[in-house]
Amino acid sequence: MAASQDSLVDRLRAEFAAVADQLPNTTVRDSRSAAVERLAAAGLPTNRDENWRYANLRALSRSRFAPIATHQPIAAPDLPAALDGFERYVFVDGQFAAGLSATPSGNVGPGIAANSPTDMDTPAAREARFALISDAFAVDGLCVHITAADSAATGASIRRIEVLFVATADATIGSSYPRLSVRLEANTRVHLIERHVSVGAAASMVNSVIDVSLDRDARLDHVRLQQLGARTTLVDTLDARLASNTHYQLHCIAYGAAAARSTLRVALQGDRSRVELTSGCLASGTQTLDTYAVVDHAAPGATTRELFRGIASGRSRIAFNGKMVVRQNARDADSVQMLKGLLAGSEAEIDIRPQLEIYTDAVKAAHGATTGKLDDAMLFYLLSRGIERDIAQSLLKWAFIEDALLGIRPEALRRQLERELSRQFQDIAALDGLLGDVK
Amino acid sequence: MSALLEVKDLVVTVGPRKILNGLSLSIDAGSVHAIMGPNGSGKSTLGYALAGRPGYEITGGSVLYRGEDLLALPAEERARAGLFLGFQYPVEIPGVNNVYLLKAAINAARKAKGLPEVDAFEFLQLVRAKMKLMQMDEAFLSRGVNEGFSGGEKKRNEILQMLVLEPTLAVLDETDSGLDIDALKVVARGVNTLRSEHRAVLLITHYQRLLDHIVPDHVHVLARGRIVKSGDRSLALELERRGYDWVLEAA
Repeated sequence: MAASQDSLVDRLRAEFAAVADQLPNTTVRDSRSAAVERLAAAGLPTNRDENWRYANLRALSRSRFAPIATHQPIAAPDLPAALDGFERYVFVDGQFAAGLSATPSGNVGPGIAANSPTDMDTPAAREARFALISDAFAVDGLCVHITAADSAATGASIRRIEVLFVATADATIGSSYPRLSVRLEANTRVHLIERHVSVGAAASMVNSVIDVSLDRDARLDHVRLQQLGARTTLVDTLDARLASNTHYQLHCIAYGAAAARSTLRVALQGDRSRVELTSGCLASGTQTLDTYAVVDHAAPGATTRELFRGIASGRSRIAFNGKMVVRQNARDADSVQMLKGLLAGSEAEIDIRPQLEIYTDAVKAAHGATTGKLDDAMLFYLLSRGIERDIAQSLLKWAFIEDALLGIRPEALRRQLERELSRQFQDIAALDGLLGDVK
Repeated sequence: MSALLEVKDLVVTVGPRKILNGLSLSIDAGSVHAIMGPNGSGKSTLGYALAGRPGYEITGGSVLYRGEDLLALPAEERARAGLFLGFQYPVEIPGVNNVYLLKAAINAARKAKGLPEVDAFEFLQLVRAKMKLMQMDEAFLSRGVNEGFSGGEKKRNEILQMLVLEPTLAVLDETDSGLDIDALKVVARGVNTLRSEHRAVLLITHYQRLLDHIVPDHVHVLARGRIVKSGDRSLALELERRGYDWVLEAA
């Protein structure tokens, strides 16, 4: 196992040497090669690493690491419907597609750059080794750096931005490196939708790196939707740092990809900072959806609200490892973790783990983690009303996952998502008809 | 004409315990039957066994519904064939709206009859009319099924579902328990509007109080897993006066 990871790193190095001259932003070439060397030193994770036990990384062996040079042309109708009031930035296989993007004025809105991989040195925690691959190979990225002046320029108190990362190419052609860097200066507010989708049925390799930094009193509402095609592999790294009195609302909904691994790290660095992490995963067939989320309380009076709902059907696997660190100086930390899994297939697997590491006394830390099957009494009640078994089960699954969807804004996006999700349940038409009436 | 429901020598086992032990009962269309009996006599078991709840194992006897073997059908098909069970303890299902439940149930019944899905407007008209009859606030519709409902609200909701589904045979398990007198009247009115020559109602109850408002044609006493005495309405009044002991001693 380790040997094969070593040979992967060797191949990665060789691929880098071959394409390094063609990568954009040659000024950062040094940091690109530094990333390769750091990765070579750290090695790629394997399933023997405690935090990578559930990740399915098999597709790496058949993937080319170099970025995709050209991609299939796609058209706006291939993409999800645009959202009213949101600027849209589209990246196809890691390259900015200005023609598919839509902004109020010109190419990019104020405070935004879209055609260079910025912030090349992402905070490299041990869990972020895949981010190093992105650091080495990424082509384009969206950089959102909002100042109070930018906010004033758009005339709205909340900046609304949608970024769409589209995968089209097969992993043997190259990897796609979505990159998103968000820095909100003091007192600014952004509503960000980040979507990962596939166009076509290719078995793509997607390696995304998201970097979030909130200055004091900033607020970010961040909705992440992972709706990749059924043969795609995703490795995803998000790193967020919150200054004083900031509010980060992070909604992660994942139901696409053959195998997806998200590594999330939120550092509460400022006092009274607050993160609300809501994650919903829906897996079927042989999908593997694995999330490792670390929230690090490093300042006094910070708050975490973490909610997870996962439903595994068929022979799928879902893992959610929610680690909460409360450092010595993080007195009056207030954290709640409510993690629930639903096994909806006799061969499905769910592993939910809350982990607490607390180094101070003055802490409120509540956590609950449960995994179970559909409730027999509820199921019988629905059956006794004549509802078909499939639909009854879907209604109960729907009810279960609903907690993770409720807070999603804008409403139009939530409705889009509910429709998409209802299609994930087997009895498509029937449930779709029912949801038509939801007020 | 054969009976709507013909229960013969029914034996039902729950886990290691035999709860019903040779129960026989015949219900004609157009009639209202009441089953009374002391705690633990098997009243709720009869309701669950008829509705097809898993874990209520039929180890003897037969049940014909409209001349066909009811026990061969899974629960959902029994419901679609016109059997309705009003639960003694309606289940709370947070996250599933009452309106989902009603619509899914109506459409399931329509599908079984080869009809298209219910028109959204007609559906809401129908539900609103029935809710008015049950004196329920429309806000109930968008709430989770029975979620946070009081005991009385749950029972009204059972009757609302019954009125919307218009079953041929309604089995109401202690629908009167936990109701104050005003709620009892509302529930009784709901049940009475359903009475017709084509339908039948089986009331499972502890107290004769309900029978002042829904007047039964037949009253049965269930004890130790079988019907030990049958009569007309006067039997219920006598039971209220004298209790169950005299029947049990005679049986």
